[in-house]
Amino acid sequence: MSALVTVEGLQHLYEGRKVLDVERLEVVEGEILAVVGPNGSGKSTLLRILNLLERPTRGEVRFWNGLSLSGMARAERRELGRQMAMIFQEPLLFKRSVRANVEYGLKARRVDREERRRLAGEMLARLNLSDFAERDAMTLSGGEAQKVTLGRAMVLRPRLLLLDEPLASLDAPSRKDLRAYISGMVREMGVTAVYVSHDYHEVLEIADRLAVLIDGTLLQTGRPGEVFGRPASDVVAEFLGAENLLEGTVRECRGGMAVLDVAGVELEALCELPQGSRVKALIHPEEIALLADALDTGSVRNRLRSRVAGMRVLGGLVKVELDCGFPLVAHITRASREEMGIEPGAEVTAAIKATAIHVMPFTGRGP
Amino acid sequence: MGDIWRGFVEALKLIGRLDPYVVKITLFTLYVCAIATTAGMLLGIPLGSALAVYRFRGRKLLVTLVNAGMGLPPVVVGLFVYMFLKRRGPLGFLNWLYTPKAIVLAEIVLAMPLIAGITMAALQNVDPKLRMQARSLGAGEAGSLLTLLRETRLSLLAAVIAGFGGIISEVGAAMMVGGNLLVGGEPYTRTLTTATVLEVSKGNSERAIALGIILLGITVLLVWVMTLMQQGTLLSHPARVARNLFSRRDKEAAA
Repeated sequence: MSALVTVEGLQHLYEGRKVLDVERLEVVEGEILAVVGPNGSGKSTLLRILNLLERPTRGEVRFWNGLSLSGMARAERRELGRQMAMIFQEPLLFKRSVRANVEYGLKARRVDREERRRLAGEMLARLNLSDFAERDAMTLSGGEAQKVTLGRAMVLRPRLLLLDEPLASLDAPSRKDLRAYISGMVREMGVTAVYVSHDYHEVLEIADRLAVLIDGTLLQTGRPGEVFGRPASDVVAEFLGAENLLEGTVRECRGGMAVLDVAGVELEALCELPQGSRVKALIHPEEIALLADALDTGSVRNRLRSRVAGMRVLGGLVKVELDCGFPLVAHITRASREEMGIEPGAEVTAAIKATAIHVMPFTGRGP
Repeated sequence: MGDIWRGFVEALKLIGRLDPYVVKITLFTLYVCAIATTAGMLLGIPLGSALAVYRFRGRKLLVTLVNAGMGLPPVVVGLFVYMFLKRRGPLGFLNWLYTPKAIVLAEIVLAMPLIAGITMAALQNVDPKLRMQARSLGAGEAGSLLTLLRETRLSLLAAVIAGFGGIISEVGAAMMVGGNLLVGGEPYTRTLTTATVLEVSKGNSERAIALGIILLGITVLLVWVMTLMQQGTLLSHPARVARNLFSRRDKEAAA
C-alpha cells in the first residue's frame, strides 16, 4: 500500500479567491478514493490539477514515477499525462463513430491501426456496445454515451483514472448500470481511481476511502465507515446528512468523560474538551435503543424519558421522531416497533451509550 | 423585354464559342479567388482559433478588429490597400499597385476577417471541456485544437464559403487597386465583376450579361460543391442537401 500520488500544501487561487487548500492528500495505489463535497468546493479543480490540465498557484504533487509537478520537463509532463485519463460529468464525445471515439486516445499515442481496432473492439464488447461501434456517437443516449467515455478512458489502461461526477447527468437506471461498470472495470484492471461527487450516496458502495472537501478545504479523509461514524467536525457531519446533530455545552469533564447540556437535558459522553466548550454532539439514529419502561437497567449511561412525536416507515426500518426536551430521531426495526407497540403519543425511554455520542467542537458553520 | 432576351441569347453564344476575352477574365477571377481564399483560410482559421481558445493581452482589441473586419465595405478596403500600395505609400516600393498581386492582397484583407470571425464564433460555441477532454486523453496542444476544429468542420466550411462569396462578388476593391486594366489588348487586372461594370457602362449588354451568367454560375457551382462536402452526398440525400443549401445562404445573407 504505497501512495501513487501525494498532494502537499496545495493552494489554488482563482481570480484572487482561494478555491482550493489541501494540506496533504494521498492517493493509495489500487484504491478508489472518493472526493466528496458540495458543488463549488474545488473538487473538479483538484482533478484538473492531478490531470496536469491546470497548474496550482502553490504546492506540490508527487506522482508515481518520482516526478513532481514543479520541475517537470515538457516531455515528462506529456508522458505522465498519458498515464491518466479523465471522465467528465457530461459525456464529452467527439462527432465521430463510437469506435473512433474509443480509439481517440490510442491514436494520440500513435498505436497502429490494427492494434487500435482490436483494443477498441475488445473494450466495446466488454461494455456490451459492439452493436454500436459504427454508430454516430452523437445519436447515443446519455447512459450509452457515458459508457463510451468510460471505454475510451479504460482502453488506455491508465495508472490513474479521474472521474468528475460521471453519473450526475444520468437517470437512475443508467447510474446503477454505469456505476457497476466503473467499479467492475477499475477493480479488474487494478486501476487507481479518484472519483469526485457531490453526492456521497453515489460513492459509498464503491469507495475505499472518502475525502471530504468543503469550501476548498480538505476536512477529513478515511474509510467511509470511519468518516460516517466519527466525522471530524460538525461541518462534515452536516454534509454527510447526519441526523441528531445536537448543539450543547460541556458542563463538566473528568477523565475523558463529560456531562453535556443539550437544551437543558444532561447527556454523558466521551469527550476531551474543557468545561464550558460549545460542542455539537452526533448520535446515530441506529445507536438509540427504545425501551418501553425505564426499569431495564444496564450499563447504559443515558436514559431519556421521551414522547413519540411521529413515525415514518423506511423500508424495513421505522424512523421514530422523539421529543425528549429536544428533537431526536431513532431507527428501530419494524418488528420491534410492533412488539413494543410504539405509537405516536406513547411514552418511551431512549437509551444511549456514552460511547455512542460523538462530540465535536462547535465551529458555528453549516446551515 | 426584347433587349434582355437578345442579350441573353448573345451571351450564351459568347460562352458557347469560348470567347477568349471572356475565358481569360473568368480564369483570372478564379485564380484571384483561389489564392485569396486559401490565404484567408491559412491566416483566418489559426487567428480565429487563437481568439476563441486562448486568453492573452490585446485579445479583446483583436476580436473587435475581426468583428469590424467582417462588415468592412470593400470600397474602404480598396482605399486602404490603395493608400498603402501607391507610389508614396508605405508599401509603394513593392510596385504592386494595378497588378494582380494588389487585387489578391485586397481580397485577402476582405476574406480573412470573415473566415477568422466565423471560425472564432464556431469554436466558442463548443464546450471548452471538450478540448480538456481531448488533452486528458493524451492529445497535445495542437492535437486538441485540431480535434476542436474537426468538431466544427461544418462551420469552418461555412466560413470558407462566406470568404469565397465575399471575394468573388466584390467589385470596389478590385477596381480601385487593380485598375480593371487591359495590357496589350489582353485583360490584365480585369475580373468578372469589374469587367461587367465596364461593359454595362459601354452599353455592351450582351457581354455584361454573359459575364454575369458566368459569375453566377461559378458562385452557385462552387458553393454547391462546398455544400455537398459539408452536408454529405447529394446522391443519397438530395432533398436534405438542397434544403440545407438554401438555409445556409439565408444565414449568410442575414450575417
